[in-house]
Amino acid sequence: MKMVVEVKSVKKVYGAKGNVFTALDGIDLSVMEGEFIGIMGPSGAGKSTLLNVIATIDQPTSGDIFIDGTSILTMNEDQLASFRRDKLGFLFQDYNLLDTLSVKENIVLPLALAKVNVKEVEKRVDDIADTFGIRPILEKYPYQISGGQKQRTAASRAIITNPRLLLADEPTGALDSKSATDLLESLKELNEHRQATVFMVTHDAFAASYCKRVLFIKDGKIFTELVKGTSPRKEFFNKVLDVLSVLGGGTSDTV
Amino acid sequence: MTLFSLAKRNIIGNFKNYMLYFLSMIFSVVIYHTFVSLRYSSEIEKNIESFQSMRSVFLQASIILIAFVAVFIWYSNAFFTKKRKKEVGMYSLLGLRKKTIGKMMFYENLLMGAGAVIAGVLLGTLLSKMFTMLLLRLLGTDVDVGFTLSLEAIGNTIFVFTCIILITSIQGYRLIYNFNLIELFQADKEGEAVPEVSMIGVIIGTILLVFGYWIAFQPVDSTGQILRNLLLIMGSIVTGTYLLFRTAIVYLLKKAKEHKSSYYNGINIIGTSHLLYRIKGNARMLTMIALLSALTLSAITIGISQYYNFTTHAKQLEPFSYTHISKGDIEEEKIKEIIYEDKNHPVQAEMTVPLLKVHSDPSDTDLPEYLEQLMAEFPEEDFINLISAKTFNQVSAALDRNEKVTLSGNEAAMIKPRYTHDSFSDYEGRTITLKLPEDGKQVRFTHLLEGRVLSWRYPDAYIVLSDELYSEMENQIQPVAYKTYQVEDQKNTELTSNQLNQLGFNELQLSTFYKVYKRGLESAGQNIFTLGFLGLVFLAATGCMIYFKQLTEAHSDKGRYEILRKIGVRKKEVLTTISKQSLFIFLLPLIVGISHNLMIVKVLLGINLIGGDISFPILSSIGFYIAIYLGYYIMTVNTYYKIVNL
Ligand SMILES: Nc1ncnc2c1ncn2[C@@H]1O[C@H](COP(=O)(O)OP(=O)(O)OP(=O)(O)O)[C@@H](O)[C@H]1O
Ligand SMILES: [Mg+2]
Repeated sequence: MKMVVEVKSVKKVYGAKGNVFTALDGIDLSVMEGEFIGIMGPSGAGKSTLLNVIATIDQPTSGDIFIDGTSILTMNEDQLASFRRDKLGFLFQDYNLLDTLSVKENIVLPLALAKVNVKEVEKRVDDIADTFGIRPILEKYPYQISGGQKQRTAASRAIITNPRLLLADEPTGALDSKSATDLLESLKELNEHRQATVFMVTHDAFAASYCKRVLFIKDGKIFTELVKGTSPRKEFFNKVLDVLSVLGGGTSDTV
Repeated sequence: MTLFSLAKRNIIGNFKNYMLYFLSMIFSVVIYHTFVSLRYSSEIEKNIESFQSMRSVFLQASIILIAFVAVFIWYSNAFFTKKRKKEVGMYSLLGLRKKTIGKMMFYENLLMGAGAVIAGVLLGTLLSKMFTMLLLRLLGTDVDVGFTLSLEAIGNTIFVFTCIILITSIQGYRLIYNFNLIELFQADKEGEAVPEVSMIGVIIGTILLVFGYWIAFQPVDSTGQILRNLLLIMGSIVTGTYLLFRTAIVYLLKKAKEHKSSYYNGINIIGTSHLLYRIKGNARMLTMIALLSALTLSAITIGISQYYNFTTHAKQLEPFSYTHISKGDIEEEKIKEIIYEDKNHPVQAEMTVPLLKVHSDPSDTDLPEYLEQLMAEFPEEDFINLISAKTFNQVSAALDRNEKVTLSGNEAAMIKPRYTHDSFSDYEGRTITLKLPEDGKQVRFTHLLEGRVLSWRYPDAYIVLSDELYSEMENQIQPVAYKTYQVEDQKNTELTSNQLNQLGFNELQLSTFYKVYKRGLESAGQNIFTLGFLGLVFLAATGCMIYFKQLTEAHSDKGRYEILRKIGVRKKEVLTTISKQSLFIFLLPLIVGISHNLMIVKVLLGINLIGGDISFPILSSIGFYIAIYLGYYIMTVNTYYKIVNL
């Protein structure tokens, strides 16, 4: 199987002299095509930072990241932009919706940038609007909708291009359990039927139980990892809870 | 910590954010103070004879400037405040009392205002020195301009800006009272609601504009009509432009949005939606700018056209270098002596122009319209000047003109009256009965001539007769004779001209080209300076307004472009969309301004406020305009791009 992302001893240090903070402290990680990886860890552990450097919207202080075998250090601004546009879907923790665009336009944006034809655009919007139950708010503007609706909009935007690599930063954080399950199901569908590689940061053990592999990060280092293998979801869920109780930081008590 | 020092810290701490607002205030003060300094300048007063009339032009200009500057500061303040609403909301959320916040905003604005006035007055003083030198040069007087401070000017500037700044400061104080917290927090997010498109607005706007332009192209005859037309044009153009900007732009943008295949094509979606997002505020500003630009361009056109054409005008008003009534006495010899003594300006031609002064018969019914009006105005006076074709041709030859006329029998030629747009068809076939002591003589107009013969006086009626007819009449009336001289290089005959003018004749008896020329030069210099200066300032200021507005938008767009980059928009595409959006914003007022300007110039031509060859004045003023806007456009795109890519 092909290696999609390879992270090699990546460090990320924030701040200048005197007041430095190491957010990532030597992360090594290989991701194969078609994997569904969860990342868990206490708040401030460096999860979002890891996603950001993989998404190439932030640069590691040292170390390297290979995408489809190419080092991002050797890629220029245009190549990076192409990668983000054509292969990547990113569901941001803080949504990053454009307030000048309506919900529909926000969702359409990546397709417009990729110059997909109008018919196809309309069809995909139609599909995704039903999947995430956002049809009633399509014409509204971000400041007119709730936090959960924003999150579903952001998810729609990340998924609509059928990205090969999907990075989701706490995609269910603002959702009720029904919407959360819907979202997770569609990530799963994307992963299983469209061979997308999914990377999901979550605090929720229930969400993590959808993953095939879960990495635990603490203080910028990989603490441990759990592989689902053939075990049923319920069992995997309990294992995740066990690790979390050692690690601290995660909560969920229902399956 | 006192409130005052909190406000002070606020400014110093966030100086970058305040910079734009501060700069636009300084800019306003500089413009105004420069102008006021010129108004009170003692150098200009000393060097210009007609300073009194000039001062009134300056006064009017500075009143327009006050209005303009006030609006400009008001707008800048509004942009600035909008950016700070969230901060104000935060203070309130943290439990600061409304009154405290209000006071803080008040002092802050006051402090910045004071700073801007000081900086502006200093810069303005420097600039006004530069402009004084420029003005004096244009008026042909070269003097060293010393460095003096005009207290009057400073007082005036301080007074005006204290008023303006106090008002905006009070506005700042009331901000926290005028909005509830949630509005303050969402201020920057919310955008201005996209106005509904009303087709009625588009239609009415178009009709008004078409109507205004149509009227501009109608011929006018009387002053009453001119006034009525001006009012109609003004009204319809102002409302029409506003309606069109308000509705048509929204309409077009919404149409562009509906056209999905281009809207959903790359970065278009962003540019179009950004424009639409801010259209309400922009429409208002763009209307104002388009109208102001049109007015300004027209003012510059007038100024340049007068400067450009005043030599031609002077030649028409005073065809010969020296002209005086000839009575054959000693004084006449003296005049001749003086003229011939001036070796620098040798006499090229000397001649006597005899003419007959008559009146037309009141029972005349077939008069050309122009003469009919004069008849009504001067029923008692012999205001018609008759000259012979021979004399006319002699004058033409003396003045190096090509125009010649041959008349026979009772044929007559009218010399085109100045300040009219009469054409031959107004005279063709018409007759006039010239009243003579014995009988009346009817003549028929067969020509319209361009060449002027003697100094222009009102009423202005010269009729050229055939030589036979003229000598026939000469037997009945005593002719009046004028003595005329044409000399080389007549533009520089100041000395001789002054000498002649000191002989004690009045202007009706003796007139010189130089005097008319100098008067024209001065008023044209004045006009080109005041109109041109004011005009450039206005254009620069309107461009600056768009610039500042765009920069403010850039600051609030920063986050948006960051998101775009995160989802894979290339820097090049960002540049493209910024260039396109800014082009839209700059091009709209530019096009509308130029088109309105051409229409206004047409009207001005119609009422003779400008005349002669106007292609140069028009092209150069439009050229200035485009150059200024091009500069601002490039600056805007550059700065905008830098801000969002930071
Ligand atoms: N731009 C920044 N400058 C300085 N420090 C930063 C910056 N961004 C993140 N950090 C720090 O890096 C650490 C890791 O941040 P990160 O956002 O990756 O955490 P996280 O694991 O995603 O936490 P959460 O679960 O709360 O989202 C945090 O301690 C944070 O304070
Ligand atoms: Mg995070």
